[in-house]
Amino acid sequence: MSAAIGQSGASLAKALQGPAKSLARCSRNQYLRLRAQRPAFTPARSFTASSRSFEKRYTEDHEWIDTSNPESATIGISTYAAKALGDVVYVELPQTDMEVNKGDAIGAVESVKSASDIMTPVSGVVTEVNSALEEKPGTINKSPEGDGWLARIKVTNPGEVDGLMDAEAYQKFTEESSEK
Amino acid sequence: MIIQTRACRYARLRTPQAYNRRCLSQCTLDRLAGPVQSYISTSRDPYLNLSIEHHLLQKTAPDSTVLLLYVNRPSIIIGRNQNPWLEVNLALLNPGRQSRVETEPPGLGVVDLVRRRSGGGTVFHDVGNVNWTVISPPKDFTRDKHAEMVVRALRGCGIDRSRVNERHDIVLDQGERNAEVNSGNTHSTSYKTGPEGPTPLKVSGSAYKLTRQRALHHGTCLLSSPNLNIIPDYLHSPAKPYITARGVESVSSPVGNILLDNDLFIARVQEQFAELYGTSSASCRVNEEWLEHELIRKGYDELKSFDWTYLQTPQFTLSNDSDALAEIILDLTIRNGTVASGRIRLPRTRTRDPATVQMLDEWSGQKVHEIDSWHDFISAAFRVEPSQSDSLCRWLERMFPLPTTADCRQDIE
Repeated sequence: MSAAIGQSGASLAKALQGPAKSLARCSRNQYLRLRAQRPAFTPARSFTASSRSFEKRYTEDHEWIDTSNPESATIGISTYAAKALGDVVYVELPQTDMEVNKGDAIGAVESVKSASDIMTPVSGVVTEVNSALEEKPGTINKSPEGDGWLARIKVTNPGEVDGLMDAEAYQKFTEESSEK
Repeated sequence: MIIQTRACRYARLRTPQAYNRRCLSQCTLDRLAGPVQSYISTSRDPYLNLSIEHHLLQKTAPDSTVLLLYVNRPSIIIGRNQNPWLEVNLALLNPGRQSRVETEPPGLGVVDLVRRRSGGGTVFHDVGNVNWTVISPPKDFTRDKHAEMVVRALRGCGIDRSRVNERHDIVLDQGERNAEVNSGNTHSTSYKTGPEGPTPLKVSGSAYKLTRQRALHHGTCLLSSPNLNIIPDYLHSPAKPYITARGVESVSSPVGNILLDNDLFIARVQEQFAELYGTSSASCRVNEEWLEHELIRKGYDELKSFDWTYLQTPQFTLSNDSDALAEIILDLTIRNGTVASGRIRLPRTRTRDPATVQMLDEWSGQKVHEIDSWHDFISAAFRVEPSQSDSLCRWLERMFPLPTTADCRQDIE
């Protein structure tokens, strides 16, 4: 936990440059207080290209997570994965209130005779599932990173998100793995 | 019943061979790290073979490639997201256990029903069918790669009509010899097919399971099944016209026997696997001893449980609305294998009164496979007189035959 705070504290500090020193060396309490002030910094971020993509991260297993709202972060499979799977004919959703650890299967999809596990990129508690997929599993192919989301999760360890790839890094990752 | 089984297991454990077994299992567990592994099961228990397969999927080294070959006793294997009431004529699985058998059941005796962990449709296994499994890293995996490997093995046995089709299955072309085709092409043969020739016969079906680090491809291979003529009886459910289901429905295809000896096929597949992935050491025999391993035991018990077989069923509804003779119309919604809601009404042909009776909420959650008396259930859940619902309940008994426990099944054997 402390390592995770140090890490995200450091990245915050880098982003802010000015108050960096105080943040990087702050105690846990100070850090939490500073972190609580975070919304005050967000206007600065809205000048960047897209605040949404900043919050969206990808795993090497081709899941994405949007942590714009950490109380209810959205999880799904990437466009790349949806293409690779082919036509999805059935989606197994998790139960709400289910507690999951990073890397656990939180669902599965079936396409072209294949059952594929979907892993959660972070630990947390499932708060909502996309029941629309039960009737229209093909939504995963049509809009994997939009209407085809799988579940929402209350993130218990925000530090886990830091280890994931942003959109740019993920694209590079998929290009490299298709070359292999 | 269960107590007896346990006593048996203890008795076996106390024999001196138990030590050898431990030692052996350590050796086999060490093998899981090897880069190329080949196994052959001597057990015919479908639950065990699928559990060993699942263990290899989970525990072999992520970079390794694994071949497993096994043969099952007569059993019906449904896909992960399928509906057993829709896919299987369940009343035939335990002849003699059903109180009302209307026709003479086919003479296969007890047939196991297994829900596997991979996707795809329903298949029938018996001793004339060899199952092959290849587990590999997902990076090298395509859906055709190992079906092509098996076609090369078949052609090595002289079966030059075999090829991989567009559904990643293996078929035998049935037409006359036509143009010469390059023998290295595993997707076409020199025999007429399609619009110009007779329909090819399916001899092998594929299914897949993809996990975080591994890709599993398994397939059947019909070599010499004596049961081809009665398989359709087992795979035609009387409930099919009345069920509307989510999930995966099987695609039925005409099937045929290759007419090959199991051992010859097995040897050729092992050769082709070795050719594809580099020579592996001799193939390792696996059997019931693997059940001593706790994880395999756990997977085995889960696979055998009715909860896995029935509760994993995708949501569906059952309605006798299309039955012209029905005296009462019932609509039932089954979610996770349990009754979620229901209503009954009189048929439209008999009354214009649209009044319906909803099922009492307290009955929602009732597991369908545990309902041993539909008369009791319908009269309690809908508060109707038993005499009114008699024909409906008899119909329900045919739609949802009560399964017998796995232990009872073994008793019959």
